Amino acid sequence: MATQHSRAAARVMIAPSVILLLAWMLVPLLMTLYFSFLRYNLLMPGANPFVGFENYTYFLSDPAFQTAIVNTLLLVGGVLVITVVGGIAVATLLDQPMWGTGLVRIMVISPFFVMPTVSALVWKNMFMNPVNGLFAWIADVLGMAAFDFLTQAPLASIIGIVSWQWLPFATLILLTAMQSLDSEQLEAAEMDGASAWARFWHIKLPHLARAITVVVLIQTIFLLSIFAEILVTTNGGPGTASTNLTYLVYAESLLRFDVGTGSAGGVVAIILANIVAIFLMRMIGKNLDA
Amino acid sequence: MGRITLDKVQKSFGDVEVIPPLDLEIEDGEFVVFVGPSGCGKSTLLRLIAGLEDVTGGDITIDGTPATDLPPAKRRLAMVFQSYALYPHMSVRKNIAFPMKMAGIPQDEQARRIDNAARVLNLTDYLDRRPGQLSGGQRQRVAIGRAIVREPAAFLFDEPLSNLDAALRVGMRLEISELHKRLATTMIYVTHDQVEAMTMADKIVVLRAGHIEQVGSPLELYRTPRNLFVAGFIGSPRMNFIDGEDASSRGAHTIGVRPEHLAVSDSDGVWRGTVGVAEHLGSDTFFHVHFDGRDEPITVRATGEVALKHGDTVWLTPDEDRIHRFDQQGLRI
Ligand SMILES: Nc1ncnc2c1ncn2[C@@H]1O[C@H](COP(=O)(O)OP(=O)(O)OP(=O)(O)O)[C@@H](O)[C@H]1O
Ligand SMILES: [Mg+2]
Repeated sequence: MATQHSRAAARVMIAPSVILLLAWMLVPLLMTLYFSFLRYNLLMPGANPFVGFENYTYFLSDPAFQTAIVNTLLLVGGVLVITVVGGIAVATLLDQPMWGTGLVRIMVISPFFVMPTVSALVWKNMFMNPVNGLFAWIADVLGMAAFDFLTQAPLASIIGIVSWQWLPFATLILLTAMQSLDSEQLEAAEMDGASAWARFWHIKLPHLARAITVVVLIQTIFLLSIFAEILVTTNGGPGTASTNLTYLVYAESLLRFDVGTGSAGGVVAIILANIVAIFLMRMIGKNLDA
Repeated sequence: MGRITLDKVQKSFGDVEVIPPLDLEIEDGEFVVFVGPSGCGKSTLLRLIAGLEDVTGGDITIDGTPATDLPPAKRRLAMVFQSYALYPHMSVRKNIAFPMKMAGIPQDEQARRIDNAARVLNLTDYLDRRPGQLSGGQRQRVAIGRAIVREPAAFLFDEPLSNLDAALRVGMRLEISELHKRLATTMIYVTHDQVEAMTMADKIVVLRAGHIEQVGSPLELYRTPRNLFVAGFIGSPRMNFIDGEDASSRGAHTIGVRPEHLAVSDSDGVWRGTVGVAEHLGSDTFFHVHFDGRDEPITVRATGEVALKHGDTVWLTPDEDRIHRFDQQGLRI
């Protein structure tokens, strides 16, 4: 874009898509914002008067709200730690030359192709069920009492299920990054006297920094809005023990038919997501610079 | 401190024998160059010495200690890779410090050696940059710096200059030679550029398909190549090979005459031909002279500017004392 003229032309050319995108995002956002200031309950038809910040005070002062924030952050943080650490470990294993690597790789990737509702149901009924589940059977064989995962450790169980779903994604990205490492660098480090651990720490891990950043950013976007897994396994309970922000918004607006409070919750969720995004970019965004 | 002995060293990848059993003696402080055509096993041989590749058979001894089973780090050798293999996320200083950090050398000693290396290699202004912010020649020097600070028994170079442009290559060639004079450490240098080999080496090892064809000083190889392969490989432009009548009259199957050992005349001489392409370099002129009944032209070097052009008839006279004679098997007579 060297000249004024071509710059103007470029603006005109990209304008339609920008306008479309803006409309696509802005209309729902503005409607949510608008609803969040109305008293709007589907069980009470009639006038929807403007009530200012009442919905927000209501949503924010709800004792479930604080639990939901904490649960959301625990869920995102827990899954990120498990998938990044686990992903590096699995990718390192898959990077070794061994027999049947192709098959193992496909098997490792496969959880990603199972839809969230299905995988959560499989975990709930086939693994974690305190009577019929595989874990209960193992506990039985070992002579221990069965552990009711979804009742006694609901959030941890959901973190486990979600981690299982996202581990393949992290592994895949980290594995490709690992394979793009110039083998001469590792050989040079070997000649420089670096042990296997030192080579991992000083050469491989820094090389993976950018891929790890990508994994963290992309996963955070999706993990902030985990919903299906909670709905099919615990319904946010017991109590609010496994309710995250998304689920709370759902509970407000659809279980209680309160569109106003639900919208306020949605706006709060957007703000929270942005705060998380700003923190993330501050912390690791510099890894993305070339 | 840097005497390396290879005793029947052999290497196969699967069923393919890349290096048949090979003996080689490298003296302390020597600058040894491995040359040979692409794929002849130069890099493999170097990597065997470095320990990056395991030998299939035979023994490697470094300074009298058996090194065949030692890991690379324990052999006290430093290697400079063709791709430089710098650590991209570390500054130049950290790159150079890395081997010392791994060896647990104290900080102040590290700093002293880094300063020293940076001064020798003109890197002082770049110590805090990342490799990505350096030119090719500077990266090359960082790689050499990283090798120097370890104070190794020998340096191994694998085609270190092949990524540089021609002018820089000449400059770095001199710098490496100078470094060798200053450090007096054994250096093993792999290249397929015979000019690099001739100008830098104390001893050249000519390889073909994993075999050592000849070992000797550059001038030995130039004056008395042991066979046709070495004769054709060393010297630029290539030696001219002539067989048939001219060879048998001199008691050989093939004779070889270097372009610089032919006299050119437009009136009389031994062989009569027509000038083909002429390459004028200013200091020298190379003529490709065509003969009846011969496919390949003969290359002739004439000093200075010579006024012969395409299609002219010329007479060539070889310097009889400098004709190389080879038998049926291609061995020197
Ligand atoms: N890991 C390997 N597995 C199988 N064959 C190999 C391996 N490494 C090298 N070779 C073979 O060994 C031979 C020698 O390779 P090498 O890299 O030593 O050649 P080179 O002389 O360094 O060539 P160049 O000048 O092109 O670098 C080649 O024929 C190559 O195909
Ligand atoms: Mg090579």
